[in-house]
Amino acid sequence: MSLRRVSILFAFSTFALFAVLVLSLLYFYRGGLFIETLFSERTLFSIRLSIYSATVAAVLATALAVPSAYALSRCDFPGKDAVDTILELPMIVSPAALGAMLLIFFNNPLGNWIQTRGAQFVFDSNGIILAQFVTTLGVATRLTKAAMDEIPQRYEDVARTLGASPAAAFFNVTLPLCRRGLAAAFILSWAKAMGEFGATITLAGTMAMKTETLPIAIFMKLSTADIDGTVVLILIMTAIGIGTLYAVRMISRKGLHA
Amino acid sequence: MRYGLLLLSALLFSMAPGFCATAHGEEGLLVFAGAASKPPTEEAAKTFEKRTGVKVDLVFGGSGFVLSQMILAKKGDIYFPGSSDFMEIARKKGAVVAETERKVVYLVQAINVQKGNPKGIHGLRDLTRPGVRVAIANPEGVCVGLYAVETIEKEFSAADKAAFKRNLVNYMESCEKTATAISLKTVDAVIGWSVFQHWDPARIETIPLKKSEISRIGYIPVAISSFSNNKVRARQFIDFLLSEEGKAIYGKYHYFMSPEEASAWIGATKPVGGEYVLPADWRPK
Repeated sequence: MSLRRVSILFAFSTFALFAVLVLSLLYFYRGGLFIETLFSERTLFSIRLSIYSATVAAVLATALAVPSAYALSRCDFPGKDAVDTILELPMIVSPAALGAMLLIFFNNPLGNWIQTRGAQFVFDSNGIILAQFVTTLGVATRLTKAAMDEIPQRYEDVARTLGASPAAAFFNVTLPLCRRGLAAAFILSWAKAMGEFGATITLAGTMAMKTETLPIAIFMKLSTADIDGTVVLILIMTAIGIGTLYAVRMISRKGLHA
Repeated sequence: MRYGLLLLSALLFSMAPGFCATAHGEEGLLVFAGAASKPPTEEAAKTFEKRTGVKVDLVFGGSGFVLSQMILAKKGDIYFPGSSDFMEIARKKGAVVAETERKVVYLVQAINVQKGNPKGIHGLRDLTRPGVRVAIANPEGVCVGLYAVETIEKEFSAADKAAFKRNLVNYMESCEKTATAISLKTVDAVIGWSVFQHWDPARIETIPLKKSEISRIGYIPVAISSFSNNKVRARQFIDFLLSEEGKAIYGKYHYFMSPEEASAWIGATKPVGGEYVLPADWRPK
């Protein structure tokens, strides 16, 4: 068997693994309940909240990731290794631990001051965005840095010899060249934020029509031993998540090659 | 380098769970338990293990969540929820052997506040004061939340209820996290169980409710799971929980050991257990 066939076989095996998991949900599927749950006010609220918070968190994470990644990719500075290593913190500590860290931070005098004089985060929808932002920031920075590492420094140097300022060289040369990597960083951050559960539930709570995102709604259905309802919500979440990512992939493929 | 790799491999191998022999095997017990009884149940399980040599694995969580796990996994020897409401659901779903159900300990509702009561909360109506941050356990999945809603619905006027809901910042996802919300000072008060104070005496204080405000005494039931292949051992564990030695463990954590003891704390006799249907406005569709 050729390498090509073997690799395609592996690719389809990965697809089959996830497809079997999704299809196994149909064992508990009830058609009427799907429509009823999908168009209920509570589910629609959870969908809107999930999409809104994941988008805001991913935009913020990508916005902060670009300058950070540039510094890590292009500059040498004291403490660079420490900064680079801590990007993995959200992956090393569990999301629940990350949520607990945020909760403990807001229990400290500084956090308390922010809560009383600034915005509320604990048990508030702002907490969802913060939890998702903190969870995705490391991934967004790591992916953006990888994309920038692929662009040779020489291109910026050439632009500088032609009279461009460092900022102009970055915005006109490096950034457009790594747009595919940036798009990938944003998409992956969005997907990770959309499915985020542990940090969100710990910081923002589980209140229906207030802080109940789709992953939390799934957990709450399971918490009431409502397995049929759980299945419906997982199917809705899968359809929204995979559908959106597939659509974005198709659009960006056309756009980026244009 | 080669020796280093060999050493690392040996170390990893020794850490693999299957490498270490454990007492858990066919004779072990798997218990799905609500977090309402976590501290004493852990101690009771350890004592039972010492007495009998039977390993007891405990899975804790919200009562409904662990019930879902037990049903989906089709395994487990004992279901030990936080209250009678979830045992009722388990019975309806055929997940427990109904005739094996026993009452282990009794619980009474109370307000729990931060140690020293900094917000000066002395009763239910203080929870409607502007600026007081309140949480209850999620009434859709956690028993103590359902009891809280029952009290709010019974005691509050429409205006009081609206003021209470304005102060209500979160539904906690388990009994344990309802108590932790006070420990971490994320809220000023919760409507929980009187026993929460003894889970974290340095940070939690209990404010008793008026006797007229308490509708019923909660209890923690236990039953053998329908999926158990080890019903004799499971029965043995339940008998241990109900023995003097088992009861002494729960007594140490200030759970009430009889309805009479709970009634004496309240100052009035109240019905034990029963079912309460969550009103529609607490269950958005």
